[in-house]
Amino acid sequence: MAAAQSVDDAFAPPGEPWHPVSPRLATARRITMMLVMLLVLLVVGLVALVDEARPLAGVLVVVWMVVVVWMWWLIGRRVRSFGYAERADDLLVTSGIMFRRLVIVPYGRMQLVDITAGPLDRQLGVATVQLHTAAASTDATIPGLPPAEAAGLRDRLAARGEQRSAGL
Amino acid sequence: MSIGPRDSRPTAAPTSRRRTHPLTPVINSVRDLGILLGVAVVFFNDGLLQLAGDVGGILGVLLLVGGVGAVLVVVLAVNYRVWLRTEYFFDESGDFGLDSGILQRNERRLSLSRLQTADINRPLLGRVVGLSQVRVEVAGGGDSRVVLAYLSDADAHALRAEIVARAAGLAPDAGEAPEVVLVTVPTGDLVVSLLLRSETLILFLVTILVVFSVTAQEGPAGLMLVLLSGGVPLLAVFAQFNRFFGFTVADSPDGLRLRHGLANVQSQTVPPGRVQAIEIAEPLLWRRKGWVRVSLNVAGLQGQQDGQQEQMLLPVAPHAVAREIIGRVMTGVDPGTMNLVPAPPRARRRAWLQFANLGVGHDDRVLVTSRGFLTRRVAVIPHARTQSVGVTQGPWQRSLGLASVRVDSTPGPVTVVALHRSAGEARQIAEQQLHRAARARASGPAERWMIAPGRPQPGGSSTGTPGGAPPAEEEPDP
Repeated sequence: MAAAQSVDDAFAPPGEPWHPVSPRLATARRITMMLVMLLVLLVVGLVALVDEARPLAGVLVVVWMVVVVWMWWLIGRRVRSFGYAERADDLLVTSGIMFRRLVIVPYGRMQLVDITAGPLDRQLGVATVQLHTAAASTDATIPGLPPAEAAGLRDRLAARGEQRSAGL
Repeated sequence: MSIGPRDSRPTAAPTSRRRTHPLTPVINSVRDLGILLGVAVVFFNDGLLQLAGDVGGILGVLLLVGGVGAVLVVVLAVNYRVWLRTEYFFDESGDFGLDSGILQRNERRLSLSRLQTADINRPLLGRVVGLSQVRVEVAGGGDSRVVLAYLSDADAHALRAEIVARAAGLAPDAGEAPEVVLVTVPTGDLVVSLLLRSETLILFLVTILVVFSVTAQEGPAGLMLVLLSGGVPLLAVFAQFNRFFGFTVADSPDGLRLRHGLANVQSQTVPPGRVQAIEIAEPLLWRRKGWVRVSLNVAGLQGQQDGQQEQMLLPVAPHAVAREIIGRVMTGVDPGTMNLVPAPPRARRRAWLQFANLGVGHDDRVLVTSRGFLTRRVAVIPHARTQSVGVTQGPWQRSLGLASVRVDSTPGPVTVVALHRSAGEARQIAEQQLHRAARARASGPAERWMIAPGRPQPGGSSTGTPGGAPPAEEEPDP
């Protein structure tokens, strides 16, 4: 690490490669995205009901399609950018493409570990694990873990947290 | 990090149930009546006057007076009931209890072994008749506090002392810990400093710009705007003045006492070892005067969790004074003497305004970062107080091979961030900070300014000092 100077080294995995999250997270996010975009399409359809606005509606539909394709692709990239790694004393979480992020949380600082899964997430079999410390700004969220992996991770984190608990 | 045996339970001598000051229902009625009157005037003004007018003459006036009188009686009666049924006491298990409510009873028990703060406030209404409120807060989630209003000043001080003494496992009548005033901010300095704040200046410039453009277009009518909009920055200044008037820092065995306020006098105790991070801010126009402002992140201090107030240690003070006080809050730490490593020269292209102020450094106790253009901000966090670390990189930073390192602290005004480091260096700072944090925590508590060598072992000291106990007992933040 000491000689690290290249651009990507700031977000290099610690020895082993990053644990990726489930590609089903991309499915979940794409479904949500499509639901929103279909609503938008509905509005565009209403615009098309007005005769004078029909050419405009045509343009809008093309724009809509471009946006959908772009977001479809972006969601895939974003989901692939998530990764986590468990070290002896801390947990690393990384994410982001444009704005990259790496959070390192010492086990001794964890106050609680949350697992959340909405109805769609449950259907698809993904869950979000979130670590909390006494700092509100600690943003260690790992979305898109299969429920079994999420529960396992939570239990490991909780156990290590208890061993190393350091108070404030 | 507790002082004395860890299992020193709060003294368990139950007391009789006590009520707040008998004037309490009167004060609360005045408050309620004010609110009711305000609502009535805003919403029903026309209706009421018309009603009175329709009935006519003296009868109408009598009706109006009678109506107000009836409301007054009801409000008084209700508040009297509320007062009658509000009782506080200490129970056998050493908890502080407050039972209240007339329709819905609320019985609250605060476990004093987890005491966070016990402070005395003097809201305007209470002050008029010389009464105070006591606010007691214990470690826990959102609603782990009680506010006892109103008590006579003497009772308030006695109660506060009793709470602290019981929490510390001392005799309940140990009395109030003596305090030594360290600093009082002169009113003149406060006014000048507030006027010279960067925020005030920016507001003022914006106002002048707006006024000029409007006057140019609207002619003299625009001058009215001068009066109106010129008031906005002044109002902001006044709000700050009202809050920080008479700012006093006093040293006492159970913590650093801060007292301030013009209309509402607030007092807070910053218990030892509870300071998580500090920031020394130096607005551009203060530099010639050599003034700085010092704010704090304190775990579980009043207002801190709500995020409505930034916790100030010193609203304005000369460098030397600030350094002395900081040295007390974090024993022997003097950020002014530390060597900061500047950001790499190419960071100038990303942040040319604040480049000169960018830096990061550490010694064996604390990490120090500096940043800011108009206001130079130096943040200090003890290694042992590191919650987590983060590295971030935006697209512009990536093109220059830069990244920023953030060290997370508990909620508060202080943000510890080393901006625009070389990407590799950023990761290195983050990893090394974690190492230092782990080592600092392993080698035991460092932040106990109260029992620094040469100081007498204080009495009311285990006021919820964090560390050492099971984690459930000491984490005040959600």
